[in-house]
Amino acid sequence: MLSIQHISKEFGSVKALNDVSFDVPNGQIMGLIGQNGAGKSTTFHSILNFIDYGGSIQWQGHTLSASDFDHIGYLPEERSLMTKLTIEQQIIYLARLKGQPAKVIRPQIDDWLERFAVKGTRKSKINDLSKGNQQKVQLICTLIHQPDLLILDEPFSGLDPVNADLLKQAVLAARDRGAAIIFSSHDMEHVTALCDQLVMLRKGDVVLHGTLDDVRDQFGKTELFVTTDWTAEQLQTLSGVGSVTDRHNRRYVLHLTDANAGPAIFDTLTQGHYIEEFSQQPPTLDEIFRLKVGEDHV
Amino acid sequence: MILGPFLLIALTVGISYVSANSSSSSRQVAVISDSVVLRKSYLQQHNSGINTKITTTTKAKKAMKANHLAGYLTLDASGSQLHGDYHGSTAMDNGFKAQVQNFLMQYQQLKNYQTAKLTPKQQRALAQTPVLKQHISAKTGTSNLVKTLSFWVLITMIYIILITYSSIAAQEIASDKGTKIMEIIFSSTTATSYFIGKITGILLVIVTQIVIYICGGWLGYTIAMQNSGIKKLVLANQSLVKGVFHNLFNLNLLYVLLGVVIYTILAAYSGALVAKAEDASKAAQPVVMLSMAGFFIALPFQNNLDAVLVKILSYVPFFSSYFMPMRIINGTAGLGEQIGSLVILLAAIGLFALYIGRRYQRLMLQTDSKNIWQHLIHSHRRS
Repeated sequence: MLSIQHISKEFGSVKALNDVSFDVPNGQIMGLIGQNGAGKSTTFHSILNFIDYGGSIQWQGHTLSASDFDHIGYLPEERSLMTKLTIEQQIIYLARLKGQPAKVIRPQIDDWLERFAVKGTRKSKINDLSKGNQQKVQLICTLIHQPDLLILDEPFSGLDPVNADLLKQAVLAARDRGAAIIFSSHDMEHVTALCDQLVMLRKGDVVLHGTLDDVRDQFGKTELFVTTDWTAEQLQTLSGVGSVTDRHNRRYVLHLTDANAGPAIFDTLTQGHYIEEFSQQPPTLDEIFRLKVGEDHV
Repeated sequence: MILGPFLLIALTVGISYVSANSSSSSRQVAVISDSVVLRKSYLQQHNSGINTKITTTTKAKKAMKANHLAGYLTLDASGSQLHGDYHGSTAMDNGFKAQVQNFLMQYQQLKNYQTAKLTPKQQRALAQTPVLKQHISAKTGTSNLVKTLSFWVLITMIYIILITYSSIAAQEIASDKGTKIMEIIFSSTTATSYFIGKITGILLVIVTQIVIYICGGWLGYTIAMQNSGIKKLVLANQSLVKGVFHNLFNLNLLYVLLGVVIYTILAAYSGALVAKAEDASKAAQPVVMLSMAGFFIALPFQNNLDAVLVKILSYVPFFSSYFMPMRIINGTAGLGEQIGSLVILLAAIGLFALYIGRRYQRLMLQTDSKNIWQHLIHSHRRS
């Protein structure tokens, strides 16, 4: 388990992290979300000891040190490979730094290239690969030594939906074999699809922390999805409705000021008759993200 | 890059050969005289640099105009006094002038004896000349020359090696600066291990190149020795050549290698201090300046190797690579002093590598607009 306790970090007068705490148990995926500059990369750099910080970071019950490097897979935010090397040379070089002998890694390379649908052979030069394929080679370098702790900084950025799915499968496979995984993303769809837990940072502070359901439930079931012949103006007049979003074709989202207003609205809209759609839900992660970011601008 | 010096040498030798061949005829002079005996007598004594085919003034003038002749000398023995007239585009060089004067003097003397009708006894009496001898100890003379030559060869060699490889090391490190591959590497191994590995790699490249140059030099020497002129020259100066080689391939070579090590470490540090990879070309500047300082401070002391400053600098790392070999060549540094200086240099290399290794990660991961000196100060603070 990766345990982060009360870590703080300042760059001059800027507080990059302020008393951040969370745990990532083995076999779980933690999503780290937040705007640019919220402290996500600083958190990763603290875990990897790239910078000095206040607080404590423990891995499997001890302070993370150089002896744990072989068990870590790290994907930085911006991709970077040694462009003069071939795919095979690059993968073997980085795997050897992780304590994996070349003779163990070499037979696995073709399988990994196939799994990630890399367009190129093991002898292809990194420089000759497209940006997307370079990114996939970097992902292979991160995963091939079967790390127990995976740190992925914006792993989905630049990947098309097909390749994003390939990465999701690889991340889920790592989780299933017991790895603790922490990744950052701006795409709430990926976070929703993958994470067991999430932490939202805002200007270095933890503003949300918990499982996806816990976090969403904190906001109450204030989103009401309906399909009705009523107009948006009529719906707006209902008691407990703060605003209405037209989803077209008689479909609306009612943003409730009070989650308890749901039953009364149901009665009013149905009048005891069939209704095509009536679903009361907590806000989506995307909406929560916007809401939390919005608080900052108030 | 490795073949560069060899190509340069081959090019220089080739151009010199072509130039020498094409200009040799225009450097020749002609000797012209109405007296066949006089001309023949001169040519018997001095035939080098003489165009023997030209025998008349008209031909000589024509050849000069066509730039095929440097000048011509006319010898006239018609009267009791010999006359030598030189016609050329430039003045006679001292060697040629002395040669002609000597010949004319001898021939005039012979003519005078014949005119005066002296007996052989009188001729011998008049031929007496004073004797001036120089008594120079051959050993000491050669020894001083060996020292001077060794001094120049060694400090030039150290300077060129340091300047060349410092730049390579600094640029190699600086090109990694701020790249994300460094984050991946530092998540896999310690910065100190990586730094020492990087330095070792660079040093092995340097040693490989130096070995190639030594082998190339040896091959060149072997080929040059096939030339009888060069072989004669080398054999005539055997003790000089041996002395210089002895001064290069002893403890001094170790100083050269350790000098390369400490300067490479400093160059790597400078490389890590630049703001970003694009500034790699600026990275070597501090090292090059330090190396230049060592070279130019060493120059004025070539004839004063007992100076206090030389003694002090022969113990100071970065400078000891220049100054201790100078003292060793001069024979003014005892074994104890040499070992003491080596120990200081080795300790400095170890401590310096450790010190930089510990700051290496922080420096390499920094990407901001700070200049090299701001980074130097910043690396000492806790980030």
